[in-house]
Amino acid sequence: MSDRAPGKLDPIIALIAGVSLLLLLPVLVKLVLPAAAWESGPGPFFASFFETKNTSAFVLFVVFCSLVLISIRRARIGADLYIRPIAGLKAVDEAIGRATEMGRKILYVPGIQSMDEIQTIASLAVLGHVAKQTARYGADLDVSNRDPLTYAAARETVKQAYIEAGRPDAFRESLVNYITFDQWALTAALTGKMVREKPAAHFFIGSFYAEALMLAEVGQTTGAIQIAGTAELAQLPFFVCACDYTLIGEEFYAASAYLSRAPLLLGSIKGQDLVKGLVLAWLLLAAGLIVAAAATGGADSTGPVASLSKWMVSVLSHK
Amino acid sequence: MADIVRKLAAIDPRIIYLVMGLAVLFPILVPIGLRVTITPPTQSAFDAIEKIAEGSRVLVSFDYGPSTSAENDPMAAAILRHCFARNLKVVSIALFPVGGDSVARDQMLLAAKEFPDKKDTVDYVNLGYKDGGQAPMKLMATDFKAVFPTDAAGRPYDSLPIMQDVKSYKDFAIAETLATGIIGEWWANLVNAQFHLDVVIGATAVSAPKYYAYLNSGNAVGLIGGLKGASEYEKLLVEKYPQFEGAYKQAGVLTATKGMDAQNIAHLAIVFFILIGNVFYVLMKRSRRAGDAA
Amino acid sequence: MMKRRIALILTFIAGSLGLFAFFFPGVPLFPVWPFVATANFKSASDRLDTWMVIVAGFALTLGVVNVVQTHGRKIMRQEKGWMYSVALLGGLFSMSAAGIYGLQPTEGIGKYTDGTSTPFDWIFGNIFFPLQATMFALLAFFMASAAYRAFRIRSFQATLLLAAAVIVMLGRIPFGEMISPHLSESITGTPGGAYLLPWLTNWIMDKPNSAGQSGIIIGAALGAAALSLRVILGLETSYLGQGKEG
Repeated sequence: MSDRAPGKLDPIIALIAGVSLLLLLPVLVKLVLPAAAWESGPGPFFASFFETKNTSAFVLFVVFCSLVLISIRRARIGADLYIRPIAGLKAVDEAIGRATEMGRKILYVPGIQSMDEIQTIASLAVLGHVAKQTARYGADLDVSNRDPLTYAAARETVKQAYIEAGRPDAFRESLVNYITFDQWALTAALTGKMVREKPAAHFFIGSFYAEALMLAEVGQTTGAIQIAGTAELAQLPFFVCACDYTLIGEEFYAASAYLSRAPLLLGSIKGQDLVKGLVLAWLLLAAGLIVAAAATGGADSTGPVASLSKWMVSVLSHK
Repeated sequence: MADIVRKLAAIDPRIIYLVMGLAVLFPILVPIGLRVTITPPTQSAFDAIEKIAEGSRVLVSFDYGPSTSAENDPMAAAILRHCFARNLKVVSIALFPVGGDSVARDQMLLAAKEFPDKKDTVDYVNLGYKDGGQAPMKLMATDFKAVFPTDAAGRPYDSLPIMQDVKSYKDFAIAETLATGIIGEWWANLVNAQFHLDVVIGATAVSAPKYYAYLNSGNAVGLIGGLKGASEYEKLLVEKYPQFEGAYKQAGVLTATKGMDAQNIAHLAIVFFILIGNVFYVLMKRSRRAGDAA
Repeated sequence: MMKRRIALILTFIAGSLGLFAFFFPGVPLFPVWPFVATANFKSASDRLDTWMVIVAGFALTLGVVNVVQTHGRKIMRQEKGWMYSVALLGGLFSMSAAGIYGLQPTEGIGKYTDGTSTPFDWIFGNIFFPLQATMFALLAFFMASAAYRAFRIRSFQATLLLAAAVIVMLGRIPFGEMISPHLSESITGTPGGAYLLPWLTNWIMDKPNSAGQSGIIIGAALGAAALSLRVILGLETSYLGQGKEG
């Protein structure tokens, strides 16, 4: 999978090495230069070098990054990485095909948050795939936005997708719309669009607030196939009830990897799953030790088992 | 018979909307006065304020807009009354872009009218709205003045007696966020988890279930969930501070407790629809099976 | 190509600065330090947060420009529904005018000292507020129709969903207490005992709901962290409108 010339350094490794060097450079300088040269520098240098109360978070961060980057590396050199089928993502192409057959458009809402929200970025990754498919099939697309920055990014994403699909002529500015910044005015506009124009497929992918139920419920009455994806916990039940398919939490983040099957992205999902497995194992062990401590010594036991279980809990609770 | 059952199983939604409308309207026109029972999350939220020493500073963040005012306004009013009754100093901010600033102004104005002995900029201040989501929340942990160089009325930070010596979250005893959407999670994940300021979350009913996880993990010390939570807080407030009883019984003023009558009837209406929906669904399945067998 | 490189470099700097500031706050920001003695990761991250607040403010301006452009074009070309665009722009400009009028020292955007409303406050309280509250209130009706349609005994999971919904809805209202038996303290663990439905509701919210929410939070957080790592390292570029790597 790697197309790098022999002897050329992997860019990720190069990046990590460069950043580490930059980070450690002041330390090296401190060791080399005489103390007097540091009089004007930041005061208690080593004392504030590392925030000790964040130690457990740092260890988890290092483990997380290492596992993700190792998995990406494995993916790049050709390891076969399996992702379980996700019904909502399998249905994406089905929904686009259905819209094409019916001659009706596809409504895509990339959430209501701005580009600083990671769900919006994940949504744009899915939008890229959906736009590529609509370009290939010749279906009509309507991407409606609430946030101006998301609108600008969505426009570029759709444009690029049409170019990559070999249909730059089919791209029109009207494919991507900016509606309004107000949450409920946007909801009124979208529900009106659904009822009047009757898109064949609705994609609600991104961060949504209370308008989720209204959008999904009104969409349901129009008979469109609805695929939703969000990591907003409060809105998941409404999407589950009213939509045909729902991507829950990290299924939504895995969407770009799943749809594109890019080894690099699959590797990232694998790494993430490994970390989750580790966290789960840690929690189960801690829970087991707590139960064992309580069974042997009572709830306020201070023995080694109880102390170990308390430490294990405190590590993850960052307190 | 089978046709009737099939029609009833797929009842026109407009009939459901009509029944819901009547269910909500009736108790507003004819108050019932149903009992309110206190739940542990609201009790925890109340106790968290009760534990704070008099004269301490409390940060109240208005992170909602007009759309959720029906749920969050009663919480805001109750919390402000509680803080003033305990002689706590209230610093209010707003982080919700659409209307957050205006609801903060309105609520602080109402509270100020009720407590004429409290002095603006000495006992309370409204610092106004700041855009940027988590960015200002992160910045408040190190430099409060940089985020709010003036208050909502344009007065410089240094001229506000209540803000003297306030540099960061460390100078507050607690933060109370009246939140819609994800903002409550930001307070729990960022402000409590990273900067260790106790947080009480006043969330809409839709968001309240997710905050139980934060409550159990200790990232929130109390949770006021929706109109029900607000009515519980009002009850706790009146029990502890009977001087507020008149304010909550005032005619023409809609409080959470009065609003709960409508919510009670609405809940019953929804449960009724769920149950009859299932009765018709089962009857329809049986008649279909009987039809297939024939 | 150059534009893409600059965007990726900026993304990396902005993303990693916050991370480094969290773990290594006091490390001098080389090469700004030693020219600026107090320059470290923490101060740089704080500066970046301030810039973000400014950028967010400008994003609103961008939104207004986009709205005026889009709807202005619609009105000029008299496209379908252009009258709604007139109403939208009318609302936008009148509210903006009221806000700009309120910049005067004697005006403001709240209430006057005698308690009457400034133009901005009047529009907010009498038009914007009721419209917003009405749209949110519609949710109650949609909730009822969604519950009627979705909570059916189709399968074991659907029945579980139905049962939990009914228990919680009844448990949160006094009616739930009225129809519930009183359980003793030994069963419920609460002083004085509790009524079945409210106690069951609290248990459902506190235990299975909290556990499920925690699981989804952890999973979603790890997913977000992995995606953030890909974005910071430039491995995920879909947000730039570019193809993905790998």
